[in-house]
Amino acid sequence: MEKQLIISVSREYGSAGHEIAENIAKEMNLNFYDRNMLDEIATKKNMQIEHLKKYDEKPRNIFNSRKVGSFTNSYEQIIAEMQFDYIREKADSGESFVIVGRCAETVLKENKALVSIFILGDKDTKLKRIMDKFQLNASDAAAKIRRHDRNRKQYHNHYSEGKWGDSRLYDMCINSSRLGTEKTTAVVKHFIEETITAS
Amino acid sequence: MIAQVLAVVIFAAMFLLIVTEKFERHIITLSCGLLTLLLVFGLSMHSMSAIIETLNLHSIIKPGFWYTSGSGGESEAGINWATIIFIFGMMIMVEGMAKAGFFRWLCMRLAKLVNYKPVPLFITFMIMSFILAMFIDSITVILFLAAVTIELAKLLKFNPVPMILSEIFCANLGGSATMCGDPPNIIIGTSFEYSFADFLTNTGVIAAISMIVIIIYFYLVFGRKMAANAAQDIDFSSIPEPKDAITNKKDFIISSIIFGCAVVLLVTHAQTGLTVAFIGTAVAIVTLIAAGKDAAGLLKKVDFKTLMFFIGLFAVVGGLEQTGILEIIASFIGDISGGNLKLMVAIIIWISAIASAFVDNIPFAATMIPVIRSLAATQGVDLSTLAWALSMGTDIGGSATPIGASANVVGTSVAAKNGYFIGWGEYCKSAAPATIIVVTISMIIIFIRYC
Repeated sequence: MEKQLIISVSREYGSAGHEIAENIAKEMNLNFYDRNMLDEIATKKNMQIEHLKKYDEKPRNIFNSRKVGSFTNSYEQIIAEMQFDYIREKADSGESFVIVGRCAETVLKENKALVSIFILGDKDTKLKRIMDKFQLNASDAAAKIRRHDRNRKQYHNHYSEGKWGDSRLYDMCINSSRLGTEKTTAVVKHFIEETITAS
Repeated sequence: MIAQVLAVVIFAAMFLLIVTEKFERHIITLSCGLLTLLLVFGLSMHSMSAIIETLNLHSIIKPGFWYTSGSGGESEAGINWATIIFIFGMMIMVEGMAKAGFFRWLCMRLAKLVNYKPVPLFITFMIMSFILAMFIDSITVILFLAAVTIELAKLLKFNPVPMILSEIFCANLGGSATMCGDPPNIIIGTSFEYSFADFLTNTGVIAAISMIVIIIYFYLVFGRKMAANAAQDIDFSSIPEPKDAITNKKDFIISSIIFGCAVVLLVTHAQTGLTVAFIGTAVAIVTLIAAGKDAAGLLKKVDFKTLMFFIGLFAVVGGLEQTGILEIIASFIGDISGGNLKLMVAIIIWISAIASAFVDNIPFAATMIPVIRSLAATQGVDLSTLAWALSMGTDIGGSATPIGASANVVGTSVAAKNGYFIGWGEYCKSAAPATIIVVTISMIIIFIRYC
């Protein structure tokens, strides 16, 4: 039986982290999970996918939710917990996969099969990528990047003891602006292969 | 002056930190309580007596803490140990009942009695929620009711959201009927030495009248939807039998007897002279002895964090009390009401209701207790009238929004985990008018009966 491999990819908005993670999954023939896991969760729990997407990877709104013991009515937190359970189930089943975001590096930190990656990027490169992708002007694109990164940071730091993007939390941190998407994919893939060989 | 500013700053910081949930709420109140003792009483006031009075440990060793002759004694300031000990005892008893399968059995039994028909089920569960919440904390009541409602909804193919919303409201309403139903009532009752019967014959009457109106209200709002929900192709054999809910028959019988005894002791405590602290302790000891080797497991399940939260909270409120801040608030209410009792009641009930709709009603009630005590003393009005207004305002106001009361959070959380998302709009559409109706009814009854 092949050794289990789980790759968690955290990323700054506009760093092409999602694309890099998808490329690695394709090249290494691994299952790929991102927002798509919500479809499976929605089907399994007979929920409306719109509800799940609305609160996905977002921090809790402190004004419209509260916690009582282990219960919370923050839908952001409930959906996050559902995704964490989903990731744990996949990992416990022995499946190999690539997972984007969702605090996977924290959720699966005890799993020996985990290789955690953080992808960042230069401000200008990220800005250009978002302007091109969404046909936005510079100020709108910058606002979008700020908003998404702020949400990701708050979301991550709520569930993790380590800080989002702190190099000590990940096996590898890489700036995708230096080499571009393709070469960064190759470098990350090489690092993963070397890690497997070394372990 | 410095002590007053510090007490207010610590209190405001505590509230803000509770809302942000950056830290667990017991850590917040305990830290703020400690700061109150050190900075307000120690550094600013240099008052050891204020610290001793707020810690209030001496009250526990007084015989009156455990047994009274029935007449109301001097009410104590500071940490309300009677509330904490009583809640602790009830937590252990409820854990024992839940472990034996009591709540699930009761829900399933009643569902079977009404032949699983949606509308009778809807009304029966509302009444059950009201009655159970009179004696048991609303979190436990809703935890089991919402879970069984969702289970039945899946089997009987109906939408459980209307039922969950009405159950939550009725749990909060039921909690207002008795001294042990809702934490604000326990705090009010133990602070002013009111009996179970005092609550039952005052807030209990208001809650019962309101309950009749609320059943009609929820029937008009959701009844048609529930009736239309009645599916035809139901396989009744797939519904679990009530007896299957019982995990251990011996434990079930024992926990039911303990619960029955607790209810009798609470209802008669004014006659027997046994205080709620005594009843809570007795119930806990008997439950633990009956549990035998499972006693450690029951103790582990007790929500000690909530008890710690109460201790810290009372210390912070003690800071406001000792520095005279709450007297300033009381004299402000006295001034704007011009000594008019009706206006005082209206201010207390509506401010309590509106505040409790958005912030935790426990800190609010704990803060308001010294305020109404001072208001009654300075304005020469009946304290109990203000206490009933505070009780109904805090207990019912919390029903208006998904974050107002613990039962709302637990109910909407259980629903969401099972795929039923109840947004603020959907929640408030039925709960906010119901809250306004009940607060109005409560105010009118208080006006007619006491003013």
